Amino acid sequence: MHPNLTFEQAPPISVPYRFFLTAPLFGVAAGLMLAWLGAAALESRWTPGALALTHLLTVGYMLQAMCGALLQFVPVSTGGNIWRPKLVAAVVHPLLALAALLLALAFVSGRAGLFQAAGPLFAVSLGGFLTVVAVALLHTQARSKSLDTLRLAIFGLLVTATLGMFLAIALGWQTGWPLLPAANVHAVWGLGGWALMLLMGVSILTVPMFQLTPPYPGWLARWLPPGLLLLLCLWSLQLVAGDGVALAWQSGVALTGLLLAALYASTTLWLQARRRRRLVDVTFLFWRGAMWSLLALAVSWVMLELPQGYAEHPRAPQWLGMLALVGVFVSAINGMFYKIVPFLNWLHLQRLGGLKVLPPNIKQMIPEPAMRGQMKLHFVALGLLLAAVLWPPLARVAGLAFAASCLWLEWNLVGAARFYAVFRKQVLIDRTRADVAGRES
Amino acid sequence: MHEQKVIDGRDLLPPEPLELTLAALDTLVPDEELLLLLYCEPHPLYSILARNGYRYHAELREDGTNEIRICKA
Repeated sequence: MHPNLTFEQAPPISVPYRFFLTAPLFGVAAGLMLAWLGAAALESRWTPGALALTHLLTVGYMLQAMCGALLQFVPVSTGGNIWRPKLVAAVVHPLLALAALLLALAFVSGRAGLFQAAGPLFAVSLGGFLTVVAVALLHTQARSKSLDTLRLAIFGLLVTATLGMFLAIALGWQTGWPLLPAANVHAVWGLGGWALMLLMGVSILTVPMFQLTPPYPGWLARWLPPGLLLLLCLWSLQLVAGDGVALAWQSGVALTGLLLAALYASTTLWLQARRRRRLVDVTFLFWRGAMWSLLALAVSWVMLELPQGYAEHPRAPQWLGMLALVGVFVSAINGMFYKIVPFLNWLHLQRLGGLKVLPPNIKQMIPEPAMRGQMKLHFVALGLLLAAVLWPPLARVAGLAFAASCLWLEWNLVGAARFYAVFRKQVLIDRTRADVAGRES
Repeated sequence: MHEQKVIDGRDLLPPEPLELTLAALDTLVPDEELLLLLYCEPHPLYSILARNGYRYHAELREDGTNEIRICKA
């Protein structure tokens, strides 16, 4: 039997929605920043513009979406008890958004004071978030592979955030600490130990349930996440080597990690090909796009590392970064939004109306043409962003296309939230009428 | 012998099985049984049934199907 969801402990709908409605705005900001900076932002991963763009997407877009999703997902998928979710969301959400904004501005402007301001905000918001989610995940009685993977992902976020704080202190107070090894390890833990681990943990539960596929093979769900964790620990040894360059054997560690990621991606595509109903909805297509991007990332890495490759080219990391951030994670998050938001609308309206007032059909929550149109624009933007890495004069057009796609996503999500608000009012009126009619009869 | 309605939700996307079940509960008469077939434990449905005066009995078949038999309490 497939894993189960239980909604008795689901938090108020405002808890995930405040994060979900903020995330795409960081995508709009990233797109506009690229359009403003143009080709200069893509010259290398170390330009101020590239660092600002990267963090608008990672701690702005991705972290907002993932924190909101976890506050919803942990109680319903693991039975984990999140302590006072409304209060946690009310503190974490604005502080995290402000911290992400300040960090992006710090990179663009180079002002140490902005790093000094962003650091404590991250410490409070992520410290609080990590504490309540970790306590919930450690105290739950449930047992599942998805839960084990979520625990590893939370550990991955802890390592990423700790190294990020170290870097913010180093930049904010000009300590002279060596930045390169910490930055390399921070980036790989963020992408592999946190984002990819979380994606895998969520996939194990939701891909079979919402895409009607067979379950992931037991051996893969059991061994892939700890295998990835082991590789991340080996990769982190460059912190003690001290010279900021990955040790020679660590390119083998990176390659093995990417092969594991490719195994996860190809298994997901294989499961999707064996789904029990040939439904092709936007979530399915977004996730397929994400998995193909992950495969393309692994293939690109191998080709860049070949003797005749371009591993030392300054824009090689940009190519890999676009595939990872926009191709894999933004695609998967967009697909997740289009599944979870209508579902949460329906579920909360159903709980409100009971059996007396049934909620509207889930397909009415976000119009299908709007979701498909936004998805097409997203993948066009991804193509343009990749093309801009190869031919930087395209950067401004690519940035505008990405901003437009994120704005359209925001519009669709706001529409769904308004739909909920309107029907919530209607359900309350209908329920009152039904109660009055029941008493009179 | 009870009359029986059957909803096969195994190849339906959530929340379609729940939507169909709630609609069917609306017309369920006292001697009638609703048989719901799923590949999971529908915890949201269980709490709705408990709150609204329905009895249910769930049984797991060897092929992984969860057979849930619902009737009025």
